[in-house]
Amino acid sequence: MKTRRDFIKTGLALGASLPLVNLEKLFAAGPPAAPTGALPAASATAKSILVAVRDGERAAMLDKAMAALGGMEAFVKKGQSVVVKPNAAFDLPPERGANTHPELVRRVVQMCFAAGAKSVSLFDNTLDQWQRAYAGSGLEQVAKDTGARLVNGKDETLYRQVEIPNGKKLQAAKVHSLVLDSDVFINVPVLKHHEGARMTACMKNLMGIVWNRGFYHRNDLHQCIADFLTLKKPALNILDAYQPMVQNGPRGLSANDLVVMRTLLVSSDPVAVDAAAAKLLNHQPSDIRHIAIAAEMKLGTMDLDQVDIRRFKLA
Amino acid sequence: MPPKLLKGLRVVAAAAMLAALTAAFVDFRSLIPSSVGQRLAETQFIPSLVTLLTGASLSLACVIIATVTLAVGRVYCSAICPLGILQDVVVRLTKWAKGKSRPAPYSHPHTWLRQAFLWATILAAAAGFGGFALSLLDPYSNYGRIASDIFRPLVTQANNVLVAPAEAIGWHGLFRVPPAWFGFGVLAVPASVLVLIIALAAWRGRLYCNTVCPVGTLLGWLAQRAAFRLQIDRSACRKCAACLRACKAQCIDLRAGSIDFSRCVGCYNCMAACDQHGINYHFAWAQKTPQAASASRAGLEAVADPQRRLFLSQAVLGIAGAAGLSRILRAGDKMPAVDAREVKNFSPVICPPGSAGVERFLDRCTACHLCISECPTGVLQPALGEYGFSGIMKPRLDYRLAFCNFDCRRCSEVCPDGAIDLLDPATKHLAKIGEAHFSKDKCVVVTNGTDCAACSEHCPTKAVSMVPYGRNLRLPSVDNDFCIGCGACEYACPAKPDKAIEVTGLRVHGIAKKLIEPKATLPKSASDFPF
Repeated sequence: MKTRRDFIKTGLALGASLPLVNLEKLFAAGPPAAPTGALPAASATAKSILVAVRDGERAAMLDKAMAALGGMEAFVKKGQSVVVKPNAAFDLPPERGANTHPELVRRVVQMCFAAGAKSVSLFDNTLDQWQRAYAGSGLEQVAKDTGARLVNGKDETLYRQVEIPNGKKLQAAKVHSLVLDSDVFINVPVLKHHEGARMTACMKNLMGIVWNRGFYHRNDLHQCIADFLTLKKPALNILDAYQPMVQNGPRGLSANDLVVMRTLLVSSDPVAVDAAAAKLLNHQPSDIRHIAIAAEMKLGTMDLDQVDIRRFKLA
Repeated sequence: MPPKLLKGLRVVAAAAMLAALTAAFVDFRSLIPSSVGQRLAETQFIPSLVTLLTGASLSLACVIIATVTLAVGRVYCSAICPLGILQDVVVRLTKWAKGKSRPAPYSHPHTWLRQAFLWATILAAAAGFGGFALSLLDPYSNYGRIASDIFRPLVTQANNVLVAPAEAIGWHGLFRVPPAWFGFGVLAVPASVLVLIIALAAWRGRLYCNTVCPVGTLLGWLAQRAAFRLQIDRSACRKCAACLRACKAQCIDLRAGSIDFSRCVGCYNCMAACDQHGINYHFAWAQKTPQAASASRAGLEAVADPQRRLFLSQAVLGIAGAAGLSRILRAGDKMPAVDAREVKNFSPVICPPGSAGVERFLDRCTACHLCISECPTGVLQPALGEYGFSGIMKPRLDYRLAFCNFDCRRCSEVCPDGAIDLLDPATKHLAKIGEAHFSKDKCVVVTNGTDCAACSEHCPTKAVSMVPYGRNLRLPSVDNDFCIGCGACEYACPAKPDKAIEVTGLRVHGIAKKLIEPKATLPKSASDFPF
């Protein structure tokens, strides 16, 4: 039986054994607008930028949003390796809205390659059996069509134990090596109601890169979700809110659980995106505990008045 | 047809059958369509017989095999039966290892032992334990378990070793899969059979098929009466014993110049080995004294009155068969509608959706483990004592390891026994194999005072929903009208050491209600940004 102390010790030992260059990489993925790691995101000089687009098709909305952020080239440099993490947890078709829509993932992958990415990998630590979930969600087809690499999210040997020194509850975790080793990490969640986390968007989607989710559930789900951001923040968060699931989430019972909103939110600040997404679902951001905790830990901006929001309507 | 060509055809057919069936069983990535595995398995005698007798479907493979055997002998045993073909592989490897073999002398048939195994199987079926006897003695199911429980994890491990080198040369087609090794108790059964088969085959060729296997004995009984039988042309025979050297069944009596066709497995090795073309098919029904011409019914059988013996065995076979048939047919009847809440309907073991219930499942399943091989999540595990002794090796759902995926029907797609019906997707979504039970005092929402909802998050029917609890928390609540018993909640529950939500199986499966919710409305009528 492993005690928590053992757990932390192993984590420390592993963390210490990481070469310094890797650590640099870990904290150097974000664009200048959003300093990452343990540094406060919203400093006086750099406000988080949030691009919100409405009333277009997913690919068109993404094109608009990325153009406003200086193009994918601002995030992906020539020859870099990219990992794209959609929500592909369920063996359910795109019209059920339980997974990130494949058309959005496809566009993200295409943009990364167009920006000169050396490789683009896709994975999720799925809830349904992973191959069924990859096929059902449409992710497999996206990989086939675009040349992205579809990586097994259910292979424990691909996960590495890492120390999370600034986490309050989550102080170590087994994290997928793709996220630890890739040059650029792009988070592409879907907006849904969630029975446990109340809402799932950017921050909650990051549970899908960790091996042992049970630990989160046993040790204050909301705190653990926020704690993970102290280890790794995505360079870019692209939230699919085209037809969010507003009840019976995160799996949903039928297409009746969805409402059409035709919205896309993009930012380097996952907390800002989640705060705006909470408003889309008629919540106050502070009512969603993991958003409030993340803001309090200065991992991003919850107060949307302090965010530089750029709004676009395509119709 | 030239004897060498006949043997060549047999070898090609056997190799193809063994390779294809083995591939279906070791297919740890589910690359082979389920229909292929099922079609292959349906060619097998016992699955087909069970399916036909229970009325699960009009499976004619067993009728065709019996007819072919009555025409030309036990072709099934050499070309179709995987356990038989496996023994031929062992024989060949033994010969190759030992170098040139010495001729194996004719051996007397173990008639008494053969019949004992056959009668035991038939009587067990009549007494209601047919599923148990067949699961231990059906040659196809025995091979299936060897391939599924031993070969498959070995192949998976070999694959895992190759992943790193493949990645190193830039090929990403491979990925690691946890090898599905079962516990020692489960593994002991196929492992013992494999050791026994290898030992017997290396020692005496097809001794198992002609001593233990009830299918071999039944088909042997038909072969003894076949229209065309292999016979030695005494004028051509120079007693060189090349046929003895080639025969795996030790059924050629060179001294008497006869072949015991009940034990001949139809491999045609003797025909191909005889340079005098002295062994050929003859139309035996045209010969005046078929008993004398066909079988050298030596030993025990020779002293008995063949006519009386025949009559007696046919009479007993008829009675026992009819009893077994009616028993199995009864089991195939539609299950009566039982209120799932009746305590007596609960079962400590959970059997797959489509199996209708524990009893029908145990009657029909021969434990070939094809469904276990094909199950993508690994929730299907072989039982040891969970069902009681009659359910040994039969699949059960183990929610500690995984859960039954809502849209997956793979086990029912491959089952060759008619033990798991292929339900249409909408029916599978409502097929109730168990019920969830929630223990509030173990739930982390109560013990830790934090949000969780892992159970509800996984629940595909929303039988588990979250209700307000305490200050701003939500507690699971189970409505068993909607629960299908898929085990997703139990698997996901993070509570330790005991799960806070657990599924109990149903002895007779039921149908859940479908929860229909009205169309959700926009949280805000705003067509604008709410921020």
